[in-house]
Order: sequence, then structure tokens, then C-alpha cells
Amino acid sequence: MHGLDYNEFLSQISGFLCGYYLLIAAMNWLFALYRWKNKGESRLALAWACVGLVSLILAAMSVAGNPDVIRYISFNETIKGGIDALMSPTTYSVGSLLILLVMFRYREVLVRPNVAWLGLNGMMFFMGLSLADQDFAAIVTKPDNVPIVGLIFLLAFFTWLATSKAVENDRRIANGELPLEATEPEREKVLVWPDLVYTELICMIALTAVMLLWAILLQAPLEEPASSVKTPNPSKAPWYFLGLQEMLVYYDPWMAGVVLPSMIVAGLMAIPYIDFNKKGNGYYTINERKFAYLTFQFGFLVLWVTLIIMGTFLRGPNWNFFGFYEYWDSHAVEAMNNVDLSQYFWVGMLNQPLPKPDPDAAFLTKVLVIAQRECVGIVLLIGYFAILPPLLAMWDKKRLFQPMYKRMGLIRYMVMTNLMLWMALLPIKMLARWVFSMKYFIAIPEYFINF
Amino acid sequence: MADKDLTIEEILARSRELDGQGEASAPAPAAEEAPAAEAAPAPASVDPSKMSVEDMLAAARASASGESDATAEQAEVPVESPAAADPSKMSVADMLAAARASATDDSGASADAPPAKAAASAAPAEKTESAAPAGPPDTASILAAARKGVQRGPQSVEEAVKTVEEEGGKPAAKAAVKVPPAPRKEDFLPPKPAPVAEVSSRRGFFASTLGVLFGAPLAVGFTSMAVTSLLWVLGLARFMFPNVLTEPPTKFKVGFPDTYGPGQVEAKYKAQFGVWVVRFEYEGEAQIFALKSVCTHLGCTPNWLEGEQKFKCPCHGSGFYKDGINFEGPAPRPLERYAIRLADDGQLEVDKSTKFNEELGQWADPNSFVSV
Repeated sequence: MHGLDYNEFLSQISGFLCGYYLLIAAMNWLFALYRWKNKGESRLALAWACVGLVSLILAAMSVAGNPDVIRYISFNETIKGGIDALMSPTTYSVGSLLILLVMFRYREVLVRPNVAWLGLNGMMFFMGLSLADQDFAAIVTKPDNVPIVGLIFLLAFFTWLATSKAVENDRRIANGELPLEATEPEREKVLVWPDLVYTELICMIALTAVMLLWAILLQAPLEEPASSVKTPNPSKAPWYFLGLQEMLVYYDPWMAGVVLPSMIVAGLMAIPYIDFNKKGNGYYTINERKFAYLTFQFGFLVLWVTLIIMGTFLRGPNWNFFGFYEYWDSHAVEAMNNVDLSQYFWVGMLNQPLPKPDPDAAFLTKVLVIAQRECVGIVLLIGYFAILPPLLAMWDKKRLFQPMYKRMGLIRYMVMTNLMLWMALLPIKMLARWVFSMKYFIAIPEYFINF
Repeated sequence: MADKDLTIEEILARSRELDGQGEASAPAPAAEEAPAAEAAPAPASVDPSKMSVEDMLAAARASASGESDATAEQAEVPVESPAAADPSKMSVADMLAAARASATDDSGASADAPPAKAAASAAPAEKTESAAPAGPPDTASILAAARKGVQRGPQSVEEAVKTVEEEGGKPAAKAAVKVPPAPRKEDFLPPKPAPVAEVSSRRGFFASTLGVLFGAPLAVGFTSMAVTSLLWVLGLARFMFPNVLTEPPTKFKVGFPDTYGPGQVEAKYKAQFGVWVVRFEYEGEAQIFALKSVCTHLGCTPNWLEGEQKFKCPCHGSGFYKDGINFEGPAPRPLERYAIRLADDGQLEVDKSTKFNEELGQWADPNSFVSV
């Protein structure tokens, strides 16, 4: 999309925008009809019909691609600047954590169909109003990124679906009823053949059709031949690995590339041995498994999905941070002087040079000098992983940690808390990097141990 | 459901209770009606629309087993039992059961039919009646029919038993006689010129076929295998000489030292050799050194940004000062140096076979730089 005159760009995007707004209009009218006919919500249905009407007007305004008209249906510079500022790494990651907590706290309100529909409309109008921006369109309409945008909508839908079922079940359980999945119509078993096999067949055909269409409409970019001395800028992993790539920014490659991914796999495998809560088998629930639910959603939504979104849309040339509406300038100067914790301690606080091991000294002497150099980080991390869990158990007597400790015993409790603390370390480290330019807590490049 | 403190165990127990009730009511047809052949139509009389899947399956199973029992006992099979149900109102399970029932029916009936002796001993009228099924014949019956037309070939144990039973329960020895002799193995001698009359016989035909298959063509087969193996070996030999350009030399000249101005980073050797030649100060000493253009984080190729005076990696944002020291991003170590020296002709010569790492104190090595 870059390299185009703004008018040319608008004439290219206007057709898509018009269709997009028509889709929103049709969607809203169908929803209004459904709510009115089936649920008898005439007022709300009228409101949704009005939203559809607004969308129709937007479609009409965008169809010509006239910049004077499109100006009125896109965000102005102030709003764009505000959103870009919100997309700074610190606010983005802290904000995504807060959004998760808010979604958890107010889930009963958020899963109501009309509220969820409002959310969907919000997402779609945000996209539509942003698409007239050249830089935003360049990222979102890139063939690689189109499916990721689709996945965001899909993820929102499935999160809503699961949460609404869980909320409904929680309400039923609170009333002393059986969960939905245990009631008679849900317990009905169906046959593999033909019920399941037919469904699978239909899905297979539909998916093949979608893939064919996709391959025809959005062609895979063909790039120049690979060269060992030339790396594309920015160089991005496949979308599903962007979370790992983001992790590599904050950790040593050995850590982020080998130890942490293995730990994710091992941790997921350990869940059945850690989890002693027998509730929630075979039905959706949140109230009966709050801790497990929140931990999982933190790991999935905050640590995985938002990092993928960040890597896809917010990381530009030289792996610098760019807002949605910022131009990807490969010469953007971003001062990032990263400092190890040992430097903060020795140079910053004690005002003396780092202890340096003598290259000719014996191995043990070198190790001791290095340990002395990195003592703060070592103490900090041992405290974090070994002392913090018992402290948590002593401090939180009633609600979570002490009952867990009593139920699980020392080893299981330590494994569980350590896995959790490892998860929590990533956002902590990210924030330390952005706020304090912290590089490594323990930096031993001599033996490839950096933490 | 008034008690609100229902635990999950209780919920599960209750649901299991419900389950048990459902099952208790369901299997009635299966339990009672399986053995009796006349009871087979019973499941069809139950209204299928009100049956649960479990009921349907049980009913289907009952009717299926009932019918197969019936055929085994040589009772007059009520073919009308599955067909009596209106096909439009049948569930899939019923259809499957019906198909299965008619299949066993057919195979039983056609197995009865073939031998002429059997037809004489048993009542032929019923056989022909049951041998004309409404549904399409299944594979077993087609095979059976085919075999009947040709000869008494190998048959299944069931069929053999049935034949024996039909012939008045005679001992198995008689059935064994019926088994056709196994075709005699040929001894792979070159085929004798057979008389014309023999060729037309079946055994002669087999013999000549085997001869064609395993005689002279054996030589053809081995020859072609040898040729193929040879081609494979040649292909393997070709594989050892791949279509690649030869590597650039690991030792190469990068010009005279006085062509480098103070603070200059020469990036033109990066594309071919993966090297930046830099004239800069390191620990207060003016040097010319060769930096390897590989990021110490994960091995991407950083770019020299003249405006920002730094090397910047596009993969994870590591940054290096002009002297190669890492200062931003995740790179844990400075860039590596290659060996550099003044050649005899006065030019600088980079040797990529030796590397020098700063964190190991190797940059003090005089081979890692040229003083200016």
C-alpha cells in the first residue's frame, strides 16, 4: 500500500470499505430481526437496525473514494495519535492484563448477547474507521496478516461462546440445577456414522473451498532468493511463533528458544498432576475453577495471543515498536541502552568497576569472581523462585495459597508455584526492559548463561 | 432440586441414576426377543420417533442377532421383518440393521442353494423364496454365486458346516472330500512342448502362464533391476557433486589501510564475504578490524545504519556500537572479529578461519586488528 499516492490508495480501498460497511449493515439488520422475532426486544432491535442504517450511510460515503468525504469517516489525527500512544509497549502489555481482569470481573454482563454484539460492532467499526489510514491498511491488508485479523475475530467469538456457557452453568449450579451439559437433551449420544462423519465431510469441503478462494484472492508474496548475508527487515517468524520471537527479545536465545518452550510443554503436561480440583469435568464453568481459569487465560490471552498481535501489528523495521498508524520507518532512531543488573549494582550503586575474572586464572576462581559479579541477580532469582512460594503460603492463609499447600504437599506446591512464577516472569522482565532498560538479571556471557 | 449445596459428585450420581433408568427401560426388546425368530418384527412395532438412540441400537442389535440365529437354525426366515417397517419412517440404525439382516439372510440362503444334493434333501421351495431378497446382494453372496457357477471352490467354514448339516449331518470327512485338490506346484522346469490338447486344458494354461511369468522374463527382470541399480549408483555419484557455486575464499584482500578514514565502516564486503571492515578506536587505540556480520543473538545479519552510527539487527532489535560492542536488544555478546593482517603487498588481508571474541578477552590478540 505504500508508494501510492493517497488518492490512488483511497480509490483502491474504497470498494472494499463499501462492501465492509454493507456487511456490517446486513449483520446488524439480521441480528435486529432475530432479537425482535425470537426474543421480543423491540427497542433494542430498533437500535441495532439504526446501527445498520448508519453503516449503510458509511458505505455510501466510502464508495466513491473521495478524500473529502472519507475524511469524515476515518479517525482524525488526534485520535490516531492517542491510540498510537496507548500502543506503547508498556501500556499495551499492562493494558492487556487489565482488560483480562476486567473481562473476568464483569463476565456476567459482557457475555449478554446484546453487550457482546456491541463489542463486535465496536471491533468492526474500529477496523473500518482505521482502514482509510494508509499505514494501518498496509499492515492489516498484507496477505500474511489478513488471516491473523480473521483469527482475532474468531478468538473473540470463541472466548465469548465458552464464557457465556460457563456463566450460564454457574448460574444454574448456583440455583441448585444441573449444568447444561448434564441435562437430558445434551446427554443424548449421537452416532459416529453418519452424524460425525457427515459433519466432518462438510467441514472438510467448506475448508477446502475457503483455502482455494484464499489462495486465489490473496497471493503468497514471492521474494528475492535467500542469501546468508541478507536478512529481511523486519524479519518475522510465522504468526504462531511471534510470541516466541517476542520472548527472544527479552531473554537469552538459549532461554527463550529452548528452556521456556520446553517448560510450556512440560507445564501443560504437568497440569493433571498438579490440579486437584475435580470440578468442571465435562461442562463449562468459571466459578468452580477460578484459579485454573485465570491462570490459563493469562497464559493464553496475555502471554500468547497479545504477543502474537504485538509481533504482527506493532513490530516494524529493526524490531522497533510502531503504533497502528505510524509509518514503518527503518531509520527511526530509538535509543535503547540496555544495562545488566550487575552493572546497575556495581557501577551505579557502588561506583566501582565490575569485578572482572582474570583470563589466566583457574576455572574455580573465575567462577567465583563471576558469581561475585552477578551476586545481586542470583540472590534475587533464588528469592523469587525458592523463597517467594513459601512466603505466599504463609501470607495468604485463607483463600488460595495456604489451602493449596495443604492439599498438594511441598513438592507439588513448589512445582505449581514455580511454573506460575515462570509465567509471571515474562511480563515482569518485559516491563523491566521497557521501564528500567534492564537487560539481564544474571549475565554470564562467558558461559552462555544469561537470564 | 431445592438443595443448593449440591456437589458435583451428587450431580454426577444423579445423572448416573437417570442414565441407569434409561438403560433399564431400553434393553427390554434385546433381552426377550433375541432368541425367538418370530419376535424379530417386534422392534419395528415400537414407534421409532419416540425411541432414544440407545433403544434404536438395542432394537437393531436384537433384530440382527435374532435373524442370524434363525438362519443358522434353518428356521424359515421372516424376511418380511425388516422390510415390513415403512422405509420412510425408519431411522438410520433401523436401516443399517435391516441391511445387515438381509445380508445374513442372503448369504445363508445362497449358501444353501448351490449344491444340487442339498437342494434335493431340503425343501427347495422355501429356499428359492428366501433366496430372492428385496435388497441388493452383498459381496459375500455375489462371491458365493460366482463360485457356484464355476466349481466348488474354497468355501467358508460356515458354508461347509451348513452343507454338511443339509446333507443329513454327515461327518466332516465327507465335506473334506469336497474340497478341491490344491493346484499342483510346478517344478519350474523349462516348459515342455505341450500337446495342443493340453494347452487348452486348465492345468496346461496355468503351467504356461507360470512359465511366462517365471521363465525367460526372469532374466529380463534381473537385467532391468541391474540397470536400475546402476542408474541409482550413478545418481548417487552425481549427488556428491552438487550444483553450488564454490565458496568465496576465506582469505581475501580488502584494500590498503590508508583508504580507510577515521571512524569509517566499510560495508561493501558484507554481501560477498559477510564482513564489515571498520577503522575505529578500541580501548583508546586506533585500529582497523574486521567484524563478522552475524548477530550474536540468533545469527541474523544486522545492518549498518550510518545515520544512527550503529549495527542494528532486524530480527530482535539487537544493537551494536561501531566497535562491535552490544548495547541494546537481547544480544548477549559483542560481534565477533575475524583475523586481519597486513599482507606482503601492503594490503589488508582478512582471514575468516580465525575468530576473536571480546568476552573471552581475545580482542587483545594482535592478530585481531591492525594498528593505524
